[in-house]
Amino acid sequence: MHLAGILGRRLGQIAVTVLVVAVLVFLLMRMLPGDPAIMLLGDRATDADIERLRAELRVDEPIAAQFGEFLLRMVTLHFGDSISMRIPVSRLILDRLPVTLMLTGMAAVLALLISVPLAFVAALRQGGWVDAAIRVFAQLSVSMPVFYIGLVLLITLAAGLRWFPVGGIGESFWEDLYYLFLPALTLALSLAAILLRNLRESLIEVMHAEYVGFATAKGLPHGLVLRRHVLRNAWVSTVTLLGLQIGSLVGGAVITETVFAIPGIGRLMIDSIFARDYAVVQGLTVVLAVMVSIVFLALDAIQAMLDPRLGT
Amino acid sequence: MAAPVTLAGPRPRAGRLLLSVRPPGTLVAGAAILLLFLICAIFPGWVAPYDPLEFDYMAIMNPPTWAHPFGTDNFGRDMLSRTIWAAQVDLQIAIFSTLFPAIFGTLAGCLFGYFGGWPDAVFRRLVDIIVTIPFVVLVIAIVAVLGPGLLNMYIAISAVGWIIYARLMRAEIISQMRRDYAAAGLVMGYGRLRIIFRHLLPNAISPIVVYWMTDMSLAILLGSSLGYLGLGAQPPTAEWGVLIADGKNFMTTAWWMSIFPGFAIVLAGMGFSLLGDGMAALLRRRA
Repeated sequence: MHLAGILGRRLGQIAVTVLVVAVLVFLLMRMLPGDPAIMLLGDRATDADIERLRAELRVDEPIAAQFGEFLLRMVTLHFGDSISMRIPVSRLILDRLPVTLMLTGMAAVLALLISVPLAFVAALRQGGWVDAAIRVFAQLSVSMPVFYIGLVLLITLAAGLRWFPVGGIGESFWEDLYYLFLPALTLALSLAAILLRNLRESLIEVMHAEYVGFATAKGLPHGLVLRRHVLRNAWVSTVTLLGLQIGSLVGGAVITETVFAIPGIGRLMIDSIFARDYAVVQGLTVVLAVMVSIVFLALDAIQAMLDPRLGT
Repeated sequence: MAAPVTLAGPRPRAGRLLLSVRPPGTLVAGAAILLLFLICAIFPGWVAPYDPLEFDYMAIMNPPTWAHPFGTDNFGRDMLSRTIWAAQVDLQIAIFSTLFPAIFGTLAGCLFGYFGGWPDAVFRRLVDIIVTIPFVVLVIAIVAVLGPGLLNMYIAISAVGWIIYARLMRAEIISQMRRDYAAAGLVMGYGRLRIIFRHLLPNAISPIVVYWMTDMSLAILLGSSLGYLGLGAQPPTAEWGVLIADGKNFMTTAWWMSIFPGFAIVLAGMGFSLLGDGMAALLRRRA
């Protein structure tokens, strides 16, 4: 089974990637002027606190020992305490993570729901005015920054028509679905435009392929040809692209959460930057890199399932 | 007294050869949009109807009218004039955050592609790693450490951005190296650097230039997003993202304060991306 081999190699790559991210974060924190212990604890820390953390971080020991200690803390999820919120960073991240996962998940689903039908219509009506209108929509969405899409939706649908809340999250799962709809739509619109363009191109390409002509010629119904032959082959590149866009989806989530005042990890990151809460920023960067790596891993598995050639 | 225009010449000159191909519509549209912004950026005082900093307490938060097509802000400043003046900063963002990545990335890509070896292997690993970290998150993390502001934003974007250019260029150089003319240069005894920069580079540069245009539109989107978050241009610098962030507090009472500056971002982004599409179409047609 070659799939296992591919996944094994990917796991190795993830380990290397996370290691390098850890090195980068470590170096960035050490590049800052001043004592890392003072920086992590903030101005209001007592001398005793600083001394204790200096000992924990092994600040007075050689750089290799410091890095070893740092790695050990990362691997065991000991990111230290947040200075602004006075609770462990890992606890804080775990509290905020589900909202962000739900937001990005909803956005990915919405993006597919928007882009797949539109791409189909555009490809089937290639060159017509419907196609032109869909392409203009795609061009506009690509040229709009995420925060602006969010604001336009907020001003029109939330503040103007009052169909949606202007921000925050709900008390239950179902309320969250409602509260997160506009933010998810915001993220989905910019993602959908990219998927739409790509899927339209590959649909058109596949429709002109010989095997599709053959399927039609042997008398299969048009709908069946589209579903079984065209869509299945056009899917592969779209799923790949969706996976590659996970990074910008996460980046977009940082911005969207700020616009809609959603207490997820993206907003936490921005708040922590302004609060100079470096322990949180450091922990979040590592966690985000791990998350995106896991998505890439899942992507490889899905790709192998969709296109058996890749798995053999 | 018009001089007679002779169309028939012994040899078509380069300029005529370019014009003999009708430019794609997207190229013309993109160039026209960017020209508009360039005029706004170079002569803002001439284009803008009002002083962007002048308070007018008689016209606070006025909705769009003929006198103030984009409305006025909470100090009575004309939003259209503020948006026009901000073009300076945003075009500067488009250029400054892509210039170093484009040049350095191209050079690095040439060398990695041509010489290969362990530096190339290290570079390929670096690419694998960089695509794993969300670009925006990486830039935000670097800005977090360096401190908010335009200069630090340029540094952060450049530190990451060159890798994409280098990857593109590396692939192009490798495909050009296999052509006969590269071997011919070597046979004729040209130095390696001469072959790379005089022969391979000019043949491999087109995709880079096309990507550069797209990248400038991405830079405006990213730059205004960081401005909005408070990590990029700092108020009172008029930058589109900053203007939108200022207006957000008045979202329910004065929607025009955030909506109109956004038009400028969308239009400028479209200008660069149309220009890129047009250039790509032109190059495909010539090839």
